[in-house]
Amino acid sequence: MKTYDVVIVGSGAAGGTLAAHLARAGVAVAVVEGGPKINTRSDFNTHAMPWEFANRQIPRMKPGKEGMGSERARGLGGKSLTWNAVAWRQSHRDFKGKSIDGGGEDWPIDYPDLAPYYDIIEREVGVCGNYDGLPDLPDGVFLPPVPYKCSDKLIDKGARKLGLKTIHVRKATLSRAKFGRPACHFCGNCMAGCDVVAKYNSYDVHMVPALKTGKLEMIPNAVVREVVVNGDNKVTGVKYINRETKAEGEVHGKAVVISCACAQSVALMQMSKSRLYPNGIANSSGHLGKHFIPHFTGGVEAFLHGLKGAPLKDDEGFLDHAYLPSFMHERKRDYARSFGAQFGYQNRRGVGWAREIPGMGAGYKQAVKANYPAFVIFSPYGEMIPNPKSYLDLDEAKKDEFGLPSARRQVSWSDNDKKIFADMQNWSTEILKAAGADILQVYKEPRTNHELGGARMGSDPKTSIVNANCQTHDIKNLFVVDGSVFPSASEKNPTHTIMALAARLAVHIADRGKKGEL
Amino acid sequence: MSDQRRTSLKIIGTIGATCAFPFAADELYAQQEHTHTEGVTAQLPEPKYFSKEDFALLAKVAELIIPTTDTPGAIAAGVPAYIDFVVSRSAPQKKLFKDGLAWLKKNDLAQLTELCAAVDKGASKTPEQKWFKAMKSLTADGYWTSKIGMAQTLGYKGASILAEFPECREH
Repeated sequence: MKTYDVVIVGSGAAGGTLAAHLARAGVAVAVVEGGPKINTRSDFNTHAMPWEFANRQIPRMKPGKEGMGSERARGLGGKSLTWNAVAWRQSHRDFKGKSIDGGGEDWPIDYPDLAPYYDIIEREVGVCGNYDGLPDLPDGVFLPPVPYKCSDKLIDKGARKLGLKTIHVRKATLSRAKFGRPACHFCGNCMAGCDVVAKYNSYDVHMVPALKTGKLEMIPNAVVREVVVNGDNKVTGVKYINRETKAEGEVHGKAVVISCACAQSVALMQMSKSRLYPNGIANSSGHLGKHFIPHFTGGVEAFLHGLKGAPLKDDEGFLDHAYLPSFMHERKRDYARSFGAQFGYQNRRGVGWAREIPGMGAGYKQAVKANYPAFVIFSPYGEMIPNPKSYLDLDEAKKDEFGLPSARRQVSWSDNDKKIFADMQNWSTEILKAAGADILQVYKEPRTNHELGGARMGSDPKTSIVNANCQTHDIKNLFVVDGSVFPSASEKNPTHTIMALAARLAVHIADRGKKGEL
Repeated sequence: MSDQRRTSLKIIGTIGATCAFPFAADELYAQQEHTHTEGVTAQLPEPKYFSKEDFALLAKVAELIIPTTDTPGAIAAGVPAYIDFVVSRSAPQKKLFKDGLAWLKKNDLAQLTELCAAVDKGASKTPEQKWFKAMKSLTADGYWTSKIGMAQTLGYKGASILAEFPECREH
């Protein structure tokens, strides 16, 4: 059986980026993906409307098309196929939060370590945005930003009354045609899957072009259930279950990289039990699964006065166009860390709020119509501080379709998290009121989003799983790269940082390959 | 319903979405003199879960919640079939609608106005209040996601191609 230089588990933003960078550097790579090959140009229900379906729910895939079926088997491209493409660089403050305001853990790397790789990613995938000159949101290599919607203008005015300022969102979506890909044409809901690849996905943008190197092989429909370690404390490859036939298979490699998204990466490591690692591979510290720090979101739904009864515009495309950067770091507060806010990223193909409008009859009907152009969701994202009650483990009693234990998320909010949540809900409401809005609903409970942590990066092998190079402390030829390695979360959408880490890891692995160390 | 939520709904209530009943009283009484099904069944598909009579009665209620105005109302938008579909798949909904139909058969449809007002204020104790909340939610969901509701009444724009996104200039 063939032995690859590197076996990568997972094909999303992390695995796909890493695979392309390694293949281009001449490293023989296999990408092992649980889900099927998806044709992004034809398989998603990108342009469907709810009335085409009896239950009014738009299914992800077109009839007869497979993909995104389960957490362990999404498809080539993983979650990058349906992400919203928000692409921030983290700043020094995000990498060194503990030193700056306490709580959590510092990263063993800092902004200058990752800056060149953010550059590389922006130059090769295309990120649109404005040059804002904010120390907390470092500028990069941007395509022109996408103009504000009317709701953005109104919210920005409200924010300014409170001494705050919104900026153009930065997304890995092309605002100009480039790289043989078309510019975004604002057709609608990006998160339903972009069928022209104006929005980045790892399959079309990274992996397919890398096939011509002859160094990359994609192995879809292979649900990895174990990373195999030998008696010499080296990994030799992975064991998988064929998604369709349930047959067992193996892929061999000189090194293995786990990058199947935070909770699944940790679950795979926890499932990989051996004589050397009875509690999960590379878990001599006992910290695998700990320090789970997903972002938590709040949310306020409102109707902007300035848009009530206004002529309806075609502004669904690209979803959110603006962003409220974190501002609390500069202000007096009784908690560590902070929050930022996306807003207006709901699409217009759902009108769930209409059931909350009081009344019945012609007046009710007219009220919904008047409110439709004015509806906005304001969505703040907070940074969670790790706590002992928030961790990832396996639910052995709950087996999935492959007979594997489910990944289980345990989340408990600390006082610090609760304070951030209360404050971000309060600020969101005040900004909307200042913008002139009727508040429909203020979400009462935090909801998790962007899963991070569980196999965190650190200098101390006793309290972390991987080192600054994403290499496990325990096993020299085993690496992890995705959200699971984040020692602290920041409040910023994490994918750009994950891709930069993957590009940086590719250099590290390729260098070791050249030295004959693989 | 939380106090905060109730307050926010009150705010919205003051901007014109009151519980005004869409029919003049005499029109309504005239309707009541007919059987429940007359004039409605002609436009309705075969129900899969409800009896024909119950289906027609629910269709009438749906049309009272979202009537035909300058655009078609709930019946034309296929809301009754949507309700039939959703209820057929949910045991809790079946119970709510059993109670609701019992209430409808004992009460005048004009009383829906009062029921709606009570539910808007947060009442959720009696079987008919619980049913009305479900009925209105399903009617709203079904109507506003229909082609008539979304494309015609709301004027949904999207799923189309823009060469460039026009910046908002008026705000």
